[in-house]
Amino acid sequence: MAATGQSQPKRTVARTTCYMCACRCGIKVHLEDGRLRYIEGNRDHPVNRGVLCGKGSAGIMTAISPARLSTPLKRTGPRGSGAFEAISWEEAMRIATERLAAIRASDPGRLALYTGRDQSQSLTGHFARMFGTVNYAAHGGFCSVNMAAAGLYSLGGAFWEFGEPDWEHARLFLLFGVSEDHDSNPLKLGLGRLKERGAKILSINPVRTGYSAIADEFLAITPGTDGLLVLALIHCLLEAGRIDAQFLIRYTNAHHLVIDAPGEGGHGLIARDAAGHALCFDRASGELREAHSPGIDPALLGTFELPDGRRARPAFALLAERYADPQYAPEAVAARCGIEAATIRRIAAEIAEVAFNHPVVLDQPWTDTAGRRHAVMTGRPVAIHAMRGVSAHSNGFHTCRAIHVLQMLLGAVDTPGSWRYKSPYPKPIPGGPPPGRPRVPGGPLDAPPLGFPRGPEDLLVDAAGEALRLDRAFSWEAPLAVHGLMHMAIARAYEAGPQGIDTLFLFMSNMAWNSAMNPGETTRMLSECDAQGNYRIPFVIVADAFSSETVAYADLVLPDTTYLERYDCISLLDRPIGSAHGPADAIRIPVLRPDRAVRPFQDVLIDLAGRLGLPDFADEQGRPLYSSYADYMIRHQRRPGIGPLAGFRGADGRAIGKGEPNPRQLERYVENGSFWRHELPAEQLYFKHANRAYLAGAKAMGLIDDDAQIVLQLYCETLQRFRLAAEGHVAPRPPERLRERIARFFDPLPIWYVPLEEAMTDRATYPLHAITQRPMAMYHSWGSHNAWLRQILPENRLYLHRDLAARLGICDEDWVWVRSRSGSLRCRARTMSGVNRDTVWTWNAIGKRTGAWALAHAAPEFRRGFLLNHVISEYLPQEGGAAPQSNSDPVTGQAAWFDLTVSLEPCAAGTPDKTSPRWSANPLHVRRTAEAVR
Amino acid sequence: MRPAASVVLLTTSTGFGFGLLAWLGAYSALGLLPQQGRGLLGAGIAVALLFTSTGLIASMFHLERKERAWRAFTQWRTSWLSREGIAAVLVYPVAIAFGVAFWRGAALPGTRVLGAATVVASLGTVYCTAMIYASLKPIRQWHNAHTAPDYLLYAVFSGAVLFAVVRTAALGSPGAVASAAAAAAAAAALLAKRAYWRHIDGQAPLATLAGAIGLPKGIEARPLDAPHFTENFILRQMGFAIARRHAAKLRSLALIIGFALPLALSVLGEFAPAPLAATALALACAALGLAVERWLFFAEATHVSALYYGRRI
Amino acid sequence: MSTLPERPQGAKRLGLVIDLDTCVGCHACAVNCKEWNTGGEAGILPDYDKYGPEPDGVWFNRIHSYETDAGGCSRTVNFPRSCLHCENPLCVTVCPTGASYKRAEDGIVLVDTDKCIGCQLCAWACPYGARELDEKAGVMRKCTLCVDRIYNESLPQEERVPACVASCPARARHFGDLADPDSEVSKLVKERGGADLLPGLGYQPTNKYLPPRRATIPTAPAKPAASGATGIGAALLGLLDRALSR
Repeated sequence: MAATGQSQPKRTVARTTCYMCACRCGIKVHLEDGRLRYIEGNRDHPVNRGVLCGKGSAGIMTAISPARLSTPLKRTGPRGSGAFEAISWEEAMRIATERLAAIRASDPGRLALYTGRDQSQSLTGHFARMFGTVNYAAHGGFCSVNMAAAGLYSLGGAFWEFGEPDWEHARLFLLFGVSEDHDSNPLKLGLGRLKERGAKILSINPVRTGYSAIADEFLAITPGTDGLLVLALIHCLLEAGRIDAQFLIRYTNAHHLVIDAPGEGGHGLIARDAAGHALCFDRASGELREAHSPGIDPALLGTFELPDGRRARPAFALLAERYADPQYAPEAVAARCGIEAATIRRIAAEIAEVAFNHPVVLDQPWTDTAGRRHAVMTGRPVAIHAMRGVSAHSNGFHTCRAIHVLQMLLGAVDTPGSWRYKSPYPKPIPGGPPPGRPRVPGGPLDAPPLGFPRGPEDLLVDAAGEALRLDRAFSWEAPLAVHGLMHMAIARAYEAGPQGIDTLFLFMSNMAWNSAMNPGETTRMLSECDAQGNYRIPFVIVADAFSSETVAYADLVLPDTTYLERYDCISLLDRPIGSAHGPADAIRIPVLRPDRAVRPFQDVLIDLAGRLGLPDFADEQGRPLYSSYADYMIRHQRRPGIGPLAGFRGADGRAIGKGEPNPRQLERYVENGSFWRHELPAEQLYFKHANRAYLAGAKAMGLIDDDAQIVLQLYCETLQRFRLAAEGHVAPRPPERLRERIARFFDPLPIWYVPLEEAMTDRATYPLHAITQRPMAMYHSWGSHNAWLRQILPENRLYLHRDLAARLGICDEDWVWVRSRSGSLRCRARTMSGVNRDTVWTWNAIGKRTGAWALAHAAPEFRRGFLLNHVISEYLPQEGGAAPQSNSDPVTGQAAWFDLTVSLEPCAAGTPDKTSPRWSANPLHVRRTAEAVR
Repeated sequence: MRPAASVVLLTTSTGFGFGLLAWLGAYSALGLLPQQGRGLLGAGIAVALLFTSTGLIASMFHLERKERAWRAFTQWRTSWLSREGIAAVLVYPVAIAFGVAFWRGAALPGTRVLGAATVVASLGTVYCTAMIYASLKPIRQWHNAHTAPDYLLYAVFSGAVLFAVVRTAALGSPGAVASAAAAAAAAAALLAKRAYWRHIDGQAPLATLAGAIGLPKGIEARPLDAPHFTENFILRQMGFAIARRHAAKLRSLALIIGFALPLALSVLGEFAPAPLAATALALACAALGLAVERWLFFAEATHVSALYYGRRI
Repeated sequence: MSTLPERPQGAKRLGLVIDLDTCVGCHACAVNCKEWNTGGEAGILPDYDKYGPEPDGVWFNRIHSYETDAGGCSRTVNFPRSCLHCENPLCVTVCPTGASYKRAEDGIVLVDTDKCIGCQLCAWACPYGARELDEKAGVMRKCTLCVDRIYNESLPQEERVPACVASCPARARHFGDLADPDSEVSKLVKERGGADLLPGLGYQPTNKYLPPRRATIPTAPAKPAASGATGIGAALLGLLDRALSR
């Protein structure tokens, strides 16, 4: 009962950016007397246009979650016991600074910094670069690096943050391996728009959850065979002659001549003139010509002689020859894919029908990079989106490449109705500089630690060809690991022991639990000591906002704020919120004042960098340059005129992209709803890879350095360079044990192969595929402890097809054993019909370790929730005497989560009503001393 | 439907009480209670009101906000629950007036009228109670032609059994009329209950899941995932289900203990050497049996909203 | 008043039209509804055992998932369930206190929680399971159609829609006046065959559900694979034979 005379509560609304998942929607946060009242979508925001998902709306409960950490912690018991002592921030910073300073003085590479989906990779990566360690990565390696790398090496853009379907014009939308995934609200908005327009949605996914539920057609494909399906579609299109040859010769390297000189160093590379321009055969003049000069009639088939007498063939000819082979006929792949041949042929026909009989023609003139003036923009309204389901297989890189090849053959790249680049993409292929390395021992790296190798010479390997990085990214084991191999970090640190790295610094990543393959092994590695009683991984720092399972394994805990209590920067230097309509970036602002002794991680990292005197973070005298992340966001310049935020630059705040730092920049962002966007003119909206006006504008904004045409790579010459090294034609060569592997997997044209783990597993014993899906209302462990969201999914089930269940004698809610080559787990089953008959699946990140996340010990997450991770191994089976390879894509090092095969059996009667395996409870026990508590 | 103890107690206990009042009023109106039955009538009214009050107090436990219970008397125009409340309260002055009038003269015309009024008020209240359930369209086991007459019949039956006890206690024997009435009511109630069960067992479900979610005809739907994993209010209230085997046992129990035994004991009561014991035993059986019967009335009732959770209705 | 109001000529029938063809089952509407109607810890939609073994709470809107089979083809149907603001709401007429009522002017069914005694009869009377007891306050709760938003003059016009409609990421939820045949929602219902839930019970729900549909792309019947075709298709050779210049 409100007492009379009490004043009305003070209501304010702050506009900031959501962080309940990685999609970065704009939100309006309503406060009453400074307390959270309501969070809603910001209607003006380009990402979500006012809508908000269940996670975003539940942010209000995350902000008051009892699982929030409240003070820096120093470990007092054994690792994993959860026994800590509360310490002051000053002491925490002193411990971290001393440790890191000592490392930096001896060998900076002994610091390994791994972050989750933190959205500040331009800062964390820069910290690592200035610190001088190559051992840095974010979560991409276990998420979707196959998708990113394949796209960036093929199109100069990729799905999700790099591109989006043209929701306004697409007539057929193919969705590969996407249940609920990024970017979630824009995808939902887009799907709704397709539905309104009556476009057909075709979902290709082993499981019909999430978006697949509303697909007009659903193909329950066998996991890991998407690439084969796509190649069969390509086969059909080639057979029917339904390709866009004009698009190919203008915008791709289909007509580039590929040297045909087996056994020589140049074999498989593209023939170039003295100036380095790719050559083609011009049928008009009968001569070899520069491939992208206007007015030529390039051959796509045939064999031609080069001036040096070697033979060469257009890349397309190689492609056509390969995929016309009957091994790619629908009839040949149907059984493996679990899709009838007639269906594959029909889908191919539908794709061709839409692409070529119903082109989208926009009345919008534009000029291409060859100087051709086009009166209209003609598009192929077949749009494709793919994510995790395609990425998380060890053949995912090539599968994604196959999808991009399909797009190129259809002429469906950045055209009206097709997939489109999101600004700042496209970028020149392969998308950035090669991975950085120390210029001088102990000094900063010459480039960001994560980069894009152009050939074997860019690998981070020693003289013997072995990895320089802890996780073996950019080594012959994973040459194009452009996001690193975070899933291997703990295992490799454990393998190397104290001689390897000294400090493992983890931010916002539950690496000891749901982000780990095999959490049981991972937690053992984190807590195991050597003969002298020292931990094999000497020091672990964890920065996180919540008491996740990983926190218990830290030596030092740096408590982060929630997303409503700090500044953040969603930067063009990282992975921004741009769209096909133009570049955009965003910030988060503190809406609530922290009520506990926590600090924003980015502030802490900048503080640490200042204390360490890192270049770019401290001046010549070692004095810190930035007082906070907000200060850094305004004043830091990566290159002259280019800073973390692209909007409102320059003294007057009018410069876009490039411009002097603007002291009022953050105020301008706040006034604008905490984001900035630049709308491209209509002329620049499509064909960006070859749109002269777009490329010039992008260069002026600093999005790209060169405004030359970005030639789409139907044929990936970079891969051939690695293959040539494996074959011994160029140096450096891979170590003996990896040569065959490199030669096999670095095929310049997409290939399909049985996923590695599956191929090495006895399928008679483990006949079923097992995968996870992301629930719509949760985002990993970030969301699943939320008081509202955990009402939706406090426990999970293993889903299987009704027919399979009947065969195995399993009914709904029965307890079952799931066994793989690396372990067993017990869980409850549920039957359905929208799933591939040989596949079982569950929601990810529901199962928790008793004691974590401030949940009661009898919580269903502990008792009946489970992680499929427990039966996944980060290593492939051992072959011969060699050390086992990581369970990853051989090209990119992407964690091959979905290669898992299992067996399934009902549990015997009398089995306890609990999941297995189980661990002892290890809730945090924090001893508080008077001095530590402010 | 979840069989809440408060509601089971409410409906059975008021059934006994209002049933007894109805018998007292009816006997009086028909002139079957002589003036010397004053003690019997006084005791009868007291016992009846004890039963009805027990039931009504129990019903209060079903209310979350008891302090606002008075508001329930306001919506008699549409709400059977409101009407039940008003009727139940009206019974008291009528019954007391009837008792006072009887005390002053059993044969007075006013007494007989008040007796008749007591019958109407008592059975009217029972009818209101029954209509609370009978009017609920989402529950096919309640929303049918059996519910109201059955409730009346069970009240008449339980009142008759109770009357027999009171009469025996007051006058030494149940009397042939009361015994015959109790036996007849028991037999009728037994037959009605069997007819009711036959009826609900033969009913088609009110809807299919596909119809409940608005899908066109010819499509079948199966539940995949419920909105929330844990039980919620709807499932606790409407999702209560009882195993068929379990229900069959309870039905037999209710028939035997609740109706057959009281029937036999009522007949026996008139001739038994210890009539009080026999009638009291009949009462105990009827009470227990009717409690089981009433529990089943709820437990076997299915609510159409449980369809959404894939429950059988 | 539990008596149903005389609905004046031209009175609105405000309600929702929910597109089952578009609903992806993301729970966005349900959570935002909870948030709008609760406002953090002090609000009116309680949670029980928030971090314990039986987390539960009151929700106005719950999202079910079903699988259907039609013509041998199976699909998943996500189904948001909330109050349908019936024209003939038994939940109102059974209410003994008048706490439940239907508004004459727009047909919204509401609970005056100051009058509610928590007898739960209204929940029994609702075939849609749309009413949930607040076990902390002891009163019945239900969807208000965000009556505190849709008439809220402090909100911009575009935001005067129920929270579930404003938040729905797939735009599967539509709000409007179903009494007006020219309203967007009425047109949608007409065009898409919007259905009443459980029409046989006679509640005359205001909210309508649009059934799932299936978009197709007609193509010429697929030609069988050319016999013994091992090379590049003749059609392709023909295509590439044309000049590709300029």
